[in-house]
Amino acid sequence: MNNEAFAQLVDANYAALYRFALSLARNASDAGDLVQQTFFIWATKGHGLRELSKAKSWLFTTLYREFLRGRRRDSRSTFLEDLPPGEKDPVAEDVDRVSKIDSASVMVALQSVDETFRAPLTLFYIEDMSYQEIAATLEVPIGTVMSRLSRGKAQLRLAVEGAATAGSKVLPFPGNTKGNRAL
Amino acid sequence: MRTEEAKFILAAFRPGGADAGDPAFSEALHMAVEDPVLGAWFTQSRAHDSVVSGKLGEIQPPVGLRDAILAGARVGKASRPRSASWRWAAGLAVAAGLAVALLSFRSTVHPQSATATLASFAIDDMLNAKHGSSGAPAGTLVSELQSDGAKMPDADQIDFEKLRDTGCRTLNFAGHDLLEVCFARGGAEYHFYVTRRDGPLGDAVASGPSFIAQAGGAAAVWSDARFDYAVASTAGVAALRKLL
Repeated sequence: MNNEAFAQLVDANYAALYRFALSLARNASDAGDLVQQTFFIWATKGHGLRELSKAKSWLFTTLYREFLRGRRRDSRSTFLEDLPPGEKDPVAEDVDRVSKIDSASVMVALQSVDETFRAPLTLFYIEDMSYQEIAATLEVPIGTVMSRLSRGKAQLRLAVEGAATAGSKVLPFPGNTKGNRAL
Repeated sequence: MRTEEAKFILAAFRPGGADAGDPAFSEALHMAVEDPVLGAWFTQSRAHDSVVSGKLGEIQPPVGLRDAILAGARVGKASRPRSASWRWAAGLAVAAGLAVALLSFRSTVHPQSATATLASFAIDDMLNAKHGSSGAPAGTLVSELQSDGAKMPDADQIDFEKLRDTGCRTLNFAGHDLLEVCFARGGAEYHFYVTRRDGPLGDAVASGPSFIAQAGGAAAVWSDARFDYAVASTAGVAALRKLL
């Protein structure tokens, strides 16, 4: 792949990959590193991929693998059985609530969702991937993807509700003394 | 199919409707039409998904990430990962190759390639060369750099001649001196390189820091009026950012 084609590949995918990485890594520096490392691997290995149409899927899968590789070094696994249920059906207020908060707060809410659910959710929301595509990208069974989407959405709604509530709180003025209340 | 099963399946239905033709959803979709409670739930769920999707799509990558990716890939193509057993010899070969190449492209060097070249040299040297084998530690500078929160030095803090005499190593970079000072901070090891601005890269290295990661290590490269700088480490880009 020549430099121009590589630049086109970067332009077409790096922003979406960054959003995916940001949801996983939960900070901008590590997210940037993950994206850069992914394209570095492409430059050294992936350019041999025969079907360029599969490049996008390859990039997302590689980024996810890199993320997991980094996580394995210093963290313990989270098992589905250990996760809180976090069930919550959507109501009209949820839509209104998420509409009113900014995109950074929505990202923070997404980042607070358990890691197991976060990757499929991000691909669903950011990349508009189907459940089959998510399964292929994350290399997990289709049923697992559906389960994680369902439970992850419930957690996300709770997180967004929390973010919206926090954003609407009236903080007391620092000079206020005990007994005074900011309205 | 029970309502809860339908909800479970419909949670994977993309808000834009792209899955409408997928048979896996047909029964659940039919139920949502027939059951007003489920239908209301599905409507709310899709609306929620649409808003979340739109909000997340507004997140933009940081300025400079694209350039860093392109520069990093160029370095990657130039120096593939090697096995540890012959890293040292390979590093010398890469360094020698870079030195020869630099002599020939001195007059046409571009900012991105100069930055990538210096980063590649620094990372290769860090990974492959033997450090600290000659010269005494650069005393004061090393002490300062090892302090938590200390920033990398600028031209006012660099006495090139003195540093050459007391630095960790002096490398031959296309016929010019490239000084290396090694220091440790927070359990990580860093290799700081400095060369004169009138050296092999001329004034082509960009002033703002560029961060380049490749297999095995990462480097930050920047410049000021008098010097080009690189600092390399295996601690990653996030650790390097804290130095600048």
